[in-house]
Amino acid sequence: MSNAPAASATAGADYRPPVALRALGAVSTLFGVIAALMILASVLITCHMIFVRGVLGQSTIWQTEAVIYLMIGATLLGLPYVQKLRGHVGVDLLPHMLPRSLRRPLAVLVMVATIVMVAAMVWYGWEMFHQAWRRGWKSESVWAFPLWITYLSVPLGFGLYLLQLLADLWLAVFGPDTTLPEPHPERSPD
Amino acid sequence: MDPLTLGLLVALATVIVLFSGVSVAVGLLIVATLFLWIFDGSRSLEALPELFYAELNSFALLSIPMFIIMGAAIASTRAGPDLYEALERWLTKVPGGLVVSNLGACALFAAMSGSSPATCAAIGKMGIPEMRRRGYPAEVASGSIAAGGTLGILIPPSVTMIVYGIATETSIGRLFLAGVIPGILLTLLFIAWAIFDTWRRGAASAALVSARYTWRQRFEILPRVLPFLAIIAGVLYALYGGVATPSETAAVGALLCIVAAVLIYRMYSRRDLWVVLRDSTRESVMILFIIGAAGVFSFMLSSLFVTQSVAQWIAALEVNRWVLMAVINVFLLVAGFFLPPVAVILMSAPILLPIITAAGFDPYWFAVIVTINMEIGLITPPVGLNLYVINGIAPDISLRQVLVGSMPFVGCMILAIILMCLFPGLATWLPDAVMGAAL
Amino acid sequence: ETLKLSHQWSEGDVRHQVAQMVADEVKAADVDLEIQIFPNQTLFKAREQYTPLSRGQLDMTIFPLSYAGGQQPAYNLTLMPGLVKNHDHAARLSAAPFMEKIEEVMAGDDVKTLVHGYLAGGFGSNKGCITKPEDVQGVTIRAAGKSFEEMLAGAGASISSMASSEIYSALQTGVLDATNTSSESFLSYRLYEQLKCYTPAGDTALWFMYQPLLINKTTFDELTPEQQQALTDASAKAEAWYLEQAKAGDEVTTKAFADAGVEIAEMTPEDFDAWRELAKETAYPAFAASLDGGQELLDMALSVE
Ligand code: NA
Ligand code: NA
Repeated sequence: MSNAPAASATAGADYRPPVALRALGAVSTLFGVIAALMILASVLITCHMIFVRGVLGQSTIWQTEAVIYLMIGATLLGLPYVQKLRGHVGVDLLPHMLPRSLRRPLAVLVMVATIVMVAAMVWYGWEMFHQAWRRGWKSESVWAFPLWITYLSVPLGFGLYLLQLLADLWLAVFGPDTTLPEPHPERSPD
Repeated sequence: MDPLTLGLLVALATVIVLFSGVSVAVGLLIVATLFLWIFDGSRSLEALPELFYAELNSFALLSIPMFIIMGAAIASTRAGPDLYEALERWLTKVPGGLVVSNLGACALFAAMSGSSPATCAAIGKMGIPEMRRRGYPAEVASGSIAAGGTLGILIPPSVTMIVYGIATETSIGRLFLAGVIPGILLTLLFIAWAIFDTWRRGAASAALVSARYTWRQRFEILPRVLPFLAIIAGVLYALYGGVATPSETAAVGALLCIVAAVLIYRMYSRRDLWVVLRDSTRESVMILFIIGAAGVFSFMLSSLFVTQSVAQWIAALEVNRWVLMAVINVFLLVAGFFLPPVAVILMSAPILLPIITAAGFDPYWFAVIVTINMEIGLITPPVGLNLYVINGIAPDISLRQVLVGSMPFVGCMILAIILMCLFPGLATWLPDAVMGAAL
Repeated sequence: ETLKLSHQWSEGDVRHQVAQMVADEVKAADVDLEIQIFPNQTLFKAREQYTPLSRGQLDMTIFPLSYAGGQQPAYNLTLMPGLVKNHDHAARLSAAPFMEKIEEVMAGDDVKTLVHGYLAGGFGSNKGCITKPEDVQGVTIRAAGKSFEEMLAGAGASISSMASSEIYSALQTGVLDATNTSSESFLSYRLYEQLKCYTPAGDTALWFMYQPLLINKTTFDELTPEQQQALTDASAKAEAWYLEQAKAGDEVTTKAFADAGVEIAEMTPEDFDAWRELAKETAYPAFAASLDGGQELLDMALSVE
C-alpha cells in the first residue's frame, strides 16, 4: 500500500520518460494549478457575495452562478493533474489476485477501456459545447452568461485527461517494469 | 428484460468492472454507458456529458472543496499538535490519557474539517509518533487515529452529509445538526474503550512513560487553542446567525482557516500554501469526478427502471422494518468495504430513501446510520481512505496492525448504530429543537 | 410502445396528477401506448429537461418553459410580470395567437405542446407586506424568474440568487427578507413557518408561470393516428382539470398560511397597474432587446384581453 502523493514518483529512479511525455505532464500540472486557483476564486467570490448582500445590502446576481461554473471547471480541468498524481481512487482487487505476468496485460486493458470511455466524453462533450456556441445559448438568469464557456470545460477537461491517460498507457506498454503505472495507489491488503 | 434481472446484471457488471483496478468514477461511467447503449440505444449516449455536467451543476457542491480546504489549511499548521498537546496536558491522570487526548483532538478537529482523511492526517502526524514514543503499541497508536479520524464525516461539517443532502434533497443544515449528538456519543464510546483497554492491559501500561504537567503548564497552553475555537465559533455564527446559507458557510470557514494559517500560524511561504491548495484540489476533484459519474450511473438505473423496481420489490417483501434496517445495514457495510463513502451514498441513496421513508424511518436519522456505516468503511480494506493516510504517516506499521488496533473501534461504531436504533432521538432531537419539526 | 415522461415534482403535486391523468386515459384507450412517469427529477434534473426533449432522448415532460429561456429568449415571455391577471386570463392567453408564435419557436426545437397550463404565485415577506412596488425598497428578496428580478431590482430591492431548497433556512436565519415563487412551492417548502406576511394570487396576481405538458414532435408524429388521437383526447381532458386545480391550489395555499397565523395581504388592481408600469420600464424593454421581434411578441401578449 502506498499513499497517493508518493505514488506519483513510481517511475524508476534512473528512468526518464521521453520529452513528449514530460511535456504532457507539465501541461497537466499547469491545469492542476488553474483548477486550484478556480477553487480559491470560488472561496473569495462566495465571501464577496455574503459581504455584498449582508453588509452592503445590494443585489447579488452573478456570484452563485459564477461559483458553480468555477467548480465545474475546476473538476474537469483538474482531471489530468489528479490522474498524474494517481489521485483517482479505485479498487485493485483483481490485479492483486492475478499472477504477476498477467498484471501488465490487465493494467493495459483497464487503461484502454478508460481511454475509450474518456474519448467518448470528449466527443459528445464537444457536441454539447458546439451546440451551445453555435446557437448562442445563455444561462436563464439576469446575468445571461454565455454557456459555451462553461460547456467548453467538458471537452477540454476530458481532452487533457485523455492525453495524460495516453501518456500513462505509453509508459504501461513501453516503459520499464518499474514504471508500470499502478492504476491507483489503493491496493488490497498486504 | 425484467428490470429486476437487469438490476442484478448491473450489480454484477459494476462489481467486476470496479474490481479491475479502474478508477471508481470511470468504472461507473463505463457500466452506465454500456447498459444505456445496449438497452436504451446509442442515442442516449449523446446525453452523457450533459448528465455529468448537470450533476455538478449545483451550488451545494461548493461546500465539498471548502470543507476540505478548512481541514487541509489547519492541518498544515501547528493547530493540530497544539490542540492535541493541550488535551494531553489536561488528561495525563486518565488511564490511557494519551489515546484519550488523541481521540478528543480528532473529535474537535472533526468539528472543523468535513473530511475524514484530513482529520486523520491532521491529528495523526503528531499523535502516532508521540504515542509510540511513550510506549503505546503500534496497534493502539494507529488504530485509534484511524478510527478517531472517521469522526470527520459524522461530526459536522461533513462532506458525506452534503452528498447525502444533495442526493436525497434533504436540508444540509439539518443533516449537520443530526450528526452532532451521535458524533459526541461515538467519541465517548471510543474514549470509554480506550480507558478500558488501558486498564485491561494493566501491568503492561504501567511501563508506559507518563509525562507530568504542572497546573501552570496546563493553563499556559490554553491560548494556543483559541484560534481553533474562534474559527469554529465564526463558522457557527455564519451558519446560524443569519449571515450565510449552509452552502455559503463553507466558504467563510475556508477563508477563515486560510487567514488563520497565514496570520496566526505564520504560514507565509508560497510553497506551503500551494501544498494546502494542491491536496485540497486533489481530494475535491477525486470526489467531484465520482459525483458526476454517479449522476450518469443513477440516470442509467432510473432510465432502465431498475431503481423503481428494486424499491417496489423491497417494499413488497413486507418484512419487519427492523429486519429491513438490518439488511440495509449489512448492504451498506459491505458496500463500504469496497467503495469510498461518496460513491456508496450516491449510488444507493436514491434507491434506499423511498424504502426507508415508506417504512417510517426518519431520513435525517437514516443519514446518521449511513454515515456511521461509511465510517466503518473508511477503516476496512480494500478501499479504506484512512488506512492509506495512516500508511503515509507511519509506513512501518503494517496494515494488519492498524486493522487489529481499529477493530475494537469498529465494535464501538456498531454499538453506536444499535444505540441509534434504540434511541432515534439521539439524531432527531437536536435538529427538531433548533430548526423545528422536519419538513 | 412506452413513452418516458419526466418532471421535477413529487407524486402529490398537481402537475404529477396531470401527467398521471394523461397516462391513465391513454392506457384506457387501449391503443398499445404506455406512458412511464419519472417524478422528482429521477431521470433528468429540473432545468436540464429541455435539451433531451428536443433531441428525442426524452419523450415527454411537464416543464416551466421559462427554464429554457436561455436557449430561446421568447420563452421568457411565459414568466413575465403583469402579463397575466388571473387564471381565466391565462387560459385566454394560451388560446391566443401569441401562444401560436411560442409554439412555432418550440416546433423549431422539435417540441410540441399537449397540455397548456399556467400556475400562479405570490409574495411572502418578513419586512411588512408586499403589494406594491414601494414595499420592496431595501428588501433582500429571492425572486423566481429573470424578468421578475429585473422588475424588483428596478423597485429598489436587493436580489439574491439561491437554490429554491435554501429559501426556508435563508428566511429563518434572516439571510433573506422576502421571496416570490409559485403557490405550490410556498406550500411544499412550508414557508408559512418562516413568513410574517403573504400576498397570495387572488383576483389579481402578478406571478404566473407557464408549465405545459410537452412532447417531442418527431415522437408524436411517428405514433399511429389512433395513438395520437388518444393522446390528444387525454390531453384536452387533463387541460380542463389542470385549470381547475390551478385555481384551487392558490386557495389551499392561502388557507394554509392563514391557518398558520400569517397575515394575508391583497393586491389591488391599482397595485397591479403600478407593477405593470414598473415592468414597462424594466423587464419589458430588457425582453424586447433580447431577441428580434421581441417587442412585437410582447405586444401580442399584452393585447390579449
Ligand atoms: Na466534520
Ligand atoms: Na473500506
